Amino acid sequence: MRKHLLALGATLALSPLMAQKIGVINSMSGPEAPIGESITNGIKLAEEDLIKKGIHVQLVWEDDTGKPQISMSAMEKLATRDNVVGVVGPYTSACSNAVSKLAQKYRVPLLIPAAAKEEITRQGFKYVFRMNAPADRYASSLIDASLTLGKPKTIAFIYENTDFGTSTSKTAKDYVATKGIQVVADEPYPKGSADYRSTLAKIKSKNPDLVFMVSYVADAILLMRQSREVGLQPQAFLGGGAGFTTSEFAREHAISEDVISCTQWTDDVNWPGAKDFGKRYKAKFGKDATYHAACAYESMMIMAECAAKGGSNRDKTQALLKAGQWNGIMGPVQFADYEGFTNQNNHPMLVQQIQGGTYETIFPKAFATKKAVYPFPRWK
Amino acid sequence: MMKTLPRTAAFLVVVGGLLALPRYVDSPYALHMMILLFLSISQGESWNILGGYTGQHSVGHAAYFGVGAYTTMMLLQAKGIAPWFGVWAGVAAVIVVALVIGSICFRLRGPYFVLASIAVAEIMRLSAINLTGLTNGAEGILVTDLPPFKIGERVVTDFMTKVPFYYLGLALALLTLLVTWGIERSKLGYYFQAIREDQDAAHSLGIPIARYKNIGLVISAVLTALAGSFYGIYVGFVDPPTVLGLDLSVQIMLIAIIGGMGTLYGPVLGSLVLVPLSEALRSNLITDLLVKSGLVSADSRTGIFLKENLAHAHVLLYGILVVLVILFMPEGIMGFVKRLASRRRKEAV
Amino acid sequence: MAVFLQSLISGILIGGVYALIGIGLTLIFGVMRVINFGHGDILMVGMYLTYILFTFAGIDPFVSVLISFPLMFLFGGFLQKVFINRVLNAVAQNQILLTIGLGLIMSNTVMLIFTSDYKIITTSYSSSTIQVGGGVSVSWPLLVSFLITAVITAVLYWFLLKTDTGQAIRATAQDREAAQLMGINVKRMSIIAFGLGSALAGTAGALISPTYYIFPQVGSVFTLKAFVITVLGGMGSVVGATLGGVLIGITESMSAAYISSGWKDVVVFVLFLLVLLLKPSGLMGKSRT
Repeated sequence: MRKHLLALGATLALSPLMAQKIGVINSMSGPEAPIGESITNGIKLAEEDLIKKGIHVQLVWEDDTGKPQISMSAMEKLATRDNVVGVVGPYTSACSNAVSKLAQKYRVPLLIPAAAKEEITRQGFKYVFRMNAPADRYASSLIDASLTLGKPKTIAFIYENTDFGTSTSKTAKDYVATKGIQVVADEPYPKGSADYRSTLAKIKSKNPDLVFMVSYVADAILLMRQSREVGLQPQAFLGGGAGFTTSEFAREHAISEDVISCTQWTDDVNWPGAKDFGKRYKAKFGKDATYHAACAYESMMIMAECAAKGGSNRDKTQALLKAGQWNGIMGPVQFADYEGFTNQNNHPMLVQQIQGGTYETIFPKAFATKKAVYPFPRWK
Repeated sequence: MMKTLPRTAAFLVVVGGLLALPRYVDSPYALHMMILLFLSISQGESWNILGGYTGQHSVGHAAYFGVGAYTTMMLLQAKGIAPWFGVWAGVAAVIVVALVIGSICFRLRGPYFVLASIAVAEIMRLSAINLTGLTNGAEGILVTDLPPFKIGERVVTDFMTKVPFYYLGLALALLTLLVTWGIERSKLGYYFQAIREDQDAAHSLGIPIARYKNIGLVISAVLTALAGSFYGIYVGFVDPPTVLGLDLSVQIMLIAIIGGMGTLYGPVLGSLVLVPLSEALRSNLITDLLVKSGLVSADSRTGIFLKENLAHAHVLLYGILVVLVILFMPEGIMGFVKRLASRRRKEAV
Repeated sequence: MAVFLQSLISGILIGGVYALIGIGLTLIFGVMRVINFGHGDILMVGMYLTYILFTFAGIDPFVSVLISFPLMFLFGGFLQKVFINRVLNAVAQNQILLTIGLGLIMSNTVMLIFTSDYKIITTSYSSSTIQVGGGVSVSWPLLVSFLITAVITAVLYWFLLKTDTGQAIRATAQDREAAQLMGINVKRMSIIAFGLGSALAGTAGALISPTYYIFPQVGSVFTLKAFVITVLGGMGSVVGATLGGVLIGITESMSAAYISSGWKDVVVFVLFLLVLLLKPSGLMGKSRT
């Protein structure tokens, strides 16, 4: 007994000396700040939980303000001046794509928590890892779900004309071509427009079976409000963007009910610790946990564990990331090479629908908690 | 001649030091900051030629920067054309663009000219977003590898470290300074400044206004485009908001204004203030320094407040700086320094 | 046909809000020749004021205009007296930079206080519509905004035409030196003009808040648009700004429907350049250098 206590004491005493220096690149200010905050909070929870496991992390926070070139500067600093073992982040697709080249160049393990753009892990970079399912999964899971619920033949796209919006809808357009669904409208819009009514009227005149949207929360709400005003009535509204998965969106009962969206994580999937994470997050930060927070949490947990096991050595950490398998709040995680991806976690996307103001998982069958409402009921 | 000798000597010493710097400093982060500094100086000096000397205050210079950046990157990605060739295509493109923009904007004066220059740059930015076939739209162009630069069979550099970019940046900054210096001492400079001081009077003296405005614009645009091309190959990523955005145009203008418009070293001073300041604000350096120096304790309320918020507040501090400079140093640092110097001379008498 | 009518109607309605923003800016530029790049951020402050009144005092956004108008007037007057006044005679780009700096201070202070989270005001009528038949719907809150804008414009017009202060403002706008020689306190006119312009911008923010969303950087979207409207209508002309606002609203809406949402802003800017080149004094402006 005493030997065990001694060993434990020794480990606890020594661990502060072996604090793992890990960099975090995140959008803490700028337009992406609200989601950046979720990521920050997820990482903070991970920091606490890591201490309970005897792993101390010394985090170096870098704000990229949502701009790729600042993200690159931040990576330079972390890799060459701060000498971190590994980096978790960044958030946006554009930033992640830009720093992955640098991570590979400096041989610093980079674990990207929530960026959607496919290309990021299609470049054969051994030092770049991604936790979340890429954009092609957003598209395929939403379309597949629709195809199990009905027989849609036509689809309209409306999306913000940013890197995220454009690349996500691009993969969706490619996917529907393989499924024989015809694209009848393709409308990129500048973020922040006050009035989508004329565009939505135009889409309505084409009578699409599906309407696929890629937006953040404010535009998502406006789009749905104005769709209702204009009387756009497809078989389903598919929300392929982060905006459609937030609690703020769900709160707008009049316009968010029965909207289908896809997400990387919910707190009622039976992955170990998921529900508990949701509860603790809400208690600590006063807000519902989003998938960004969950992805960031698990990414930091995994990165820190590998860094600790790898003795704060970058190459060893990379090898451990590649070889490891985990099963935590994000379910089974393994960074594999498949279908042209390198170090991509083959993460299943969950398709959910807002029913009665709450998100219910409707697809895939293995995780479904409720039956879907299809087609989209008539606007009141 | 005697008055300028010490100044020339000082200049040569500084340049010599800069040339030798990479031998003694090998921290990539330090080199990166120097490269940002050189870029900023190039941008500021280029704008200064049109804005400071010729008095045409363009708030749309991102248009030229973006044309240079995009042309070089597009040719590199799509056709594999090395940037040392691609950059000349960028120069050719920007001359055309500048002449077109000049023909639109130079008919307007004062605030109308400013608004037109903004509108033109915004049209270019929005076009870059929408013409996805040409520019890859909002996703931007990312180029991971540069071809090695060879003279004959010998590889001069493969661009794997920052050092070649350091020297390229330094060369670019020196070029813009040289051009400005040349303009100051030539008839061109006289014409530009005459137009700036009183366009109508200059016109009545027989100076072809339109021709010289366009010359000033073309020189300014070409240098800005070179800076844009350099930016593209250094950073490796360009997208419409970064290289064609209004924020960039404002930033470029700010460099010359804070330093002192219409002076040779104004943009240099402006860069020396702005580049370290924005990095320091963004990366929490100031809070760290305050804590390290003991002025603020890390656990005190002030310390925690600063740590949490200073990073978020860097844009706020930027805004405050701009307001203070405009209100109290409207002629920039050079103007402020000159006024101090002349006051001291008066007191000496 | 339904698409055409829908675009036209929503364009006119949103144009009403744009008009209000443009009127504020045209007053400021007309009287002081100041390019106010912080105008959109003043609108943003108005929006947050509306949000506070709605969330903490339960005051309906349209009703809260009665409170926010005078408060924003005072805010504008303060900005003019302390900051703008010092650059009245400075070069254009110094004015631009100062107002940009002030705008940055406003938006980032708000960000520190309220965070960047999007705030949405959902009233009982936020998505209410009136169906006009043929599948065309009119947004009820936008219609109310339009009507309120019309009333404000009419009152403002009467103020400028029939009251002494109003005429003094117009005189200052027409020829500052002559007005001063006639005994008009031009400094005070500038303060009133900036105050009015800010109040109008803030009101526009209040009116649009039930149908839009609120975040610290919302100003930048509107500032450039405001300039286009002002130039289109003629710098210094209230009627011009009204027409300009509606025209831009319709142009945007139609371009989004018939060309593409992505190009609609380009169309607006091209229109802007054409006006600057062909009729720089704008629709209603008198030729002036």
